[in-house]
Amino acid sequence: MDSEQIDYQSLNYLSTVDHNLCCPICRSPLVDPVYTTCLHTFCSTCINKALERSQTCPVDRTPLQAEDVSPAPIMIANLVNELAVLCPNSELGCTFTCARYLVEAHLSHDCEFVYMKCRECGDKVLRRDAGRECLHQLEECTHCFQHIKKIDMEAHEKECPGLLGECMHCRLEIERSELKEHEFTCEEATISCSSSSLGCPWSGQRKELSHHQAACPFTFLRPVLQAHAERLTKLELENRTLRKRIEQLTPRINQSNTTEPLSFDEQAYQFLTEQEHMRQDMERLSATLGELEIKQGMLLMNESLRTKEELAGIRAAINGIRMQIHWLLTVRVHGTEHRHVVGGGAGTPSNSAGPSHPAEHSASRRLSDNFGQGVKL
Amino acid sequence: MAALPKRIIKETERLVADPVPGINATPHEDNLRYFDVTIHGPASSPYEEGIFRLELFLPEDYPMSPPKIRFLTKIYHPNIDKLGRICLDVLKTNWSPALQIRTILLSIQALLGAPNPEDPLANDVAQRWKEDEKAAIETAREWTRTHATV
Ligand SMILES: [Zn+2]
Ligand SMILES: [Zn+2]
Ligand SMILES: [Zn+2]
Ligand SMILES: [Zn+2]
Ligand SMILES: [Zn+2]
Ligand SMILES: [Zn+2]
Ligand SMILES: [Zn+2]
Repeated sequence: MDSEQIDYQSLNYLSTVDHNLCCPICRSPLVDPVYTTCLHTFCSTCINKALERSQTCPVDRTPLQAEDVSPAPIMIANLVNELAVLCPNSELGCTFTCARYLVEAHLSHDCEFVYMKCRECGDKVLRRDAGRECLHQLEECTHCFQHIKKIDMEAHEKECPGLLGECMHCRLEIERSELKEHEFTCEEATISCSSSSLGCPWSGQRKELSHHQAACPFTFLRPVLQAHAERLTKLELENRTLRKRIEQLTPRINQSNTTEPLSFDEQAYQFLTEQEHMRQDMERLSATLGELEIKQGMLLMNESLRTKEELAGIRAAINGIRMQIHWLLTVRVHGTEHRHVVGGGAGTPSNSAGPSHPAEHSASRRLSDNFGQGVKL
Repeated sequence: MAALPKRIIKETERLVADPVPGINATPHEDNLRYFDVTIHGPASSPYEEGIFRLELFLPEDYPMSPPKIRFLTKIYHPNIDKLGRICLDVLKTNWSPALQIRTILLSIQALLGAPNPEDPLANDVAQRWKEDEKAAIETAREWTRTHATV
């Protein structure tokens, strides 16, 4: 193999390694570990590079010289050397794993994925192919007739333009070099509507496109939709610039007048308190109204009581008068009967009142006076 | 460019899988030595609530030489200049190859929480910090509001 040095610090380890076994500088498991007089452990290359820059320990910054560094105890070296690693050529395909100290031997003797010099022409060739005949001779491709190195033939066959390929849509067999071009015109390739950018969800085979587009509402509205889209982007842009300006202006407003912009919550709170005030007013008003009603009722009752009493008085007076009239009428009837008895003949009532009944007359007067007084009650 | 050293791969994996709270570092897809970094301003500092963007580059001989870091977000700080360069000893003379990206970003976050006007990089800022610390802190707070909030 080449004299290339193995980059131990970029090896991949099979399992995660305890951080105590890692170098504080490269953060990988220690390689060729050394330790310092201040008892810190590093890879020897790492600490040497660090000391070129600064004569202090990278971990605790105590002054440190190259002679303060010595190889770490053999136990530490063994611990890191026996960690299992992947072959550095694992990406090329080598699946070999081994203890770290065996990697060098693997690469120089066994690894199939190490490049070696070709025995015949000196060109690069993987060890796995090195035993065969020289792979750097040119060979004619049987499909496209190009001259290709044998070593590259495998890669060439994947892209040889002379090989036939099959169209995945219409199954047509066609030369690879033309396959791409064919896909752009293949009648059975799945494509989407030319108005898909405007939102048409249709997709189908190319041969059905013209049929679809004859009925596609999006294609129909294309000019309108495009104009809208343009306007939308213009408005968005404008909106963005306006928003920026607002952003620039708001801090100033906030500073100069903190009370002005009321938040929604504050507004709602104001409304609620106002409503509360109104409710209280209404309660007060309805209470006064009730009081007034009661007062009015009392007044009405007093008034009607008096009226009733008066009415009763009047009724009594009327009764009295009626009795008086009745009495007078009866007196009169008795009087004529008496005259009949005394004078023996009928005379006019006015003339009949004689001196024989003055007392009765005055008594009736007095009685009526009494009734009059009763009315006044 | 040579293959990426294992150490950088490991550090990147850990930064992504187990990020430091308040710090985010993402490598560029096309250059794995170049990181986009954001640092949240530490609580109860004038940089609180700010999100600061930085760029971080790992030079060819990292970790032997320190990463190159610069603030991209404008910041008012006595140890950070107009161009975003940071005055932090571990990024210069006190660098050690045992330090890592995450430890460096943590020290930068700590520097935001504890400005040091005695070791200034931005002289005018440091001057003001020493003369009128209250006003300087207010300015830092204002810059955080205007430049470091999304
Ligand atoms: Zn090391
Ligand atoms: Zn030490
Ligand atoms: Zn191998
Ligand atoms: Zn050969
Ligand atoms: Zn061919
Ligand atoms: Zn086809
Ligand atoms: Zn359509």
